[in-house]
Amino acid sequence: MGVAKKVKDMRDDRKNVVDMDGSRVDDDHLLSMYIDNELDAEQTIAFVSRLKSESALRTRLTQLEENDGLIKRVYAQSADSIPHQVAALISADNVTLLRPVRQWRRWTTAAVAASCAVVIAMVLNTNQTAVFNPMTIDAQMAHALESSPSRAAGWETLDNERTFRSVLTFPAADGKWCREFMLVHRESNWRGVACRDDGNWVNQVVGSEVFLNQETQYRPAGADDSQSVARFIDETATDVALGPQQEAALILSGW
Amino acid sequence: MTTLTSQQRQDLIDELPRLKRYCLSLTSDPADADDLLQITVERLLEKGMPADAHVAKWSHRVCKNLWIDEIRSRDVRNRYALSEGVIDGAGTTSANTEESVQLDRVSAAMEQLPAEQRAALVQVAVEGRSYAEAAAFLEVPIGTIMSRVARARKALAANLEWREEREA
Repeated sequence: MGVAKKVKDMRDDRKNVVDMDGSRVDDDHLLSMYIDNELDAEQTIAFVSRLKSESALRTRLTQLEENDGLIKRVYAQSADSIPHQVAALISADNVTLLRPVRQWRRWTTAAVAASCAVVIAMVLNTNQTAVFNPMTIDAQMAHALESSPSRAAGWETLDNERTFRSVLTFPAADGKWCREFMLVHRESNWRGVACRDDGNWVNQVVGSEVFLNQETQYRPAGADDSQSVARFIDETATDVALGPQQEAALILSGW
Repeated sequence: MTTLTSQQRQDLIDELPRLKRYCLSLTSDPADADDLLQITVERLLEKGMPADAHVAKWSHRVCKNLWIDEIRSRDVRNRYALSEGVIDGAGTTSANTEESVQLDRVSAAMEQLPAEQRAALVQVAVEGRSYAEAAAFLEVPIGTIMSRVARARKALAANLEWREEREA
């Protein structure tokens, strides 16, 4: 088929379609380029002339510009809500990430649909001291999750710096057993949920809290932290928490 | 590749608002935008960047690649299941003012745009980049930016008109 015949057979039902550098653009494209100051001088003069004489074109221009203004306001709001730990992470001196532990809140494994309040572990070279990462489950904590009965009061000492309390045990939608726990490390207090996967305890969500009285009173450090743990349990648990006898039997059986 | 220099860190901090907006333009969801921003920063701190790298462009590229990886690894069924419960605004207040309703409407309409159109529109209309600058940032031809921005504005206008008629 010859080029001329191909051109003749082309149909273009768009109105006011013009050739621009080899591309055919309609009025909306021209308006968009006009808004963005991307028309050259000659094109701009021609387009302004059209705007003066075509009220529909002017109306459309106003509509698109107003929409742009709304988009700017929507996105201006988003920039105001930068998570504070992000800037702090960049600013911290001599920071080395132990590992990237941040996970997508909405797309973790298929069995889990929860928001994870993840803390990034940092090693500060100045004192060669590892900053505590509550998401890490070491041998002592794993042992406590594996064997400690849930309790409403009292703490179990994990080591010189940490005390631990299992709060409740519940079954998850994917068949795993999960445990809510509380953890104190020096001045920091955490509440979280860990689930047992093929013999290993894996933290699913951890949030910081303030324990006014370690025995009975606590309040969440932030609404998001508290809600993360509660929401995880709401969305994951398929049944009520185990009673003391059921839990004891489960622990004795090795889960 | 070395870790970030002090100047790169400062440049990255200065870039955070624009990077956050870019994250939102990719994800169209505030919570996911926060996640993507943090993951991007973590990656930059972990891997560093060349000494002569343009911090803004480099960070945008890392961000885009991380988002592409996330999209590819996501289970399709979960993605569509979650999209039903999508957050309907980009941080508007709970007060039911006319302005907040209008902004919610715009947020929802933006969410309906294809991600590449949304990203192009944000780079040009929000960040104020020229087509050439946006093309460099998004690593696509200038003509592609022109087309995506125009189509995004057109689709957005149609969507907003439809929403207004439905709510009338």
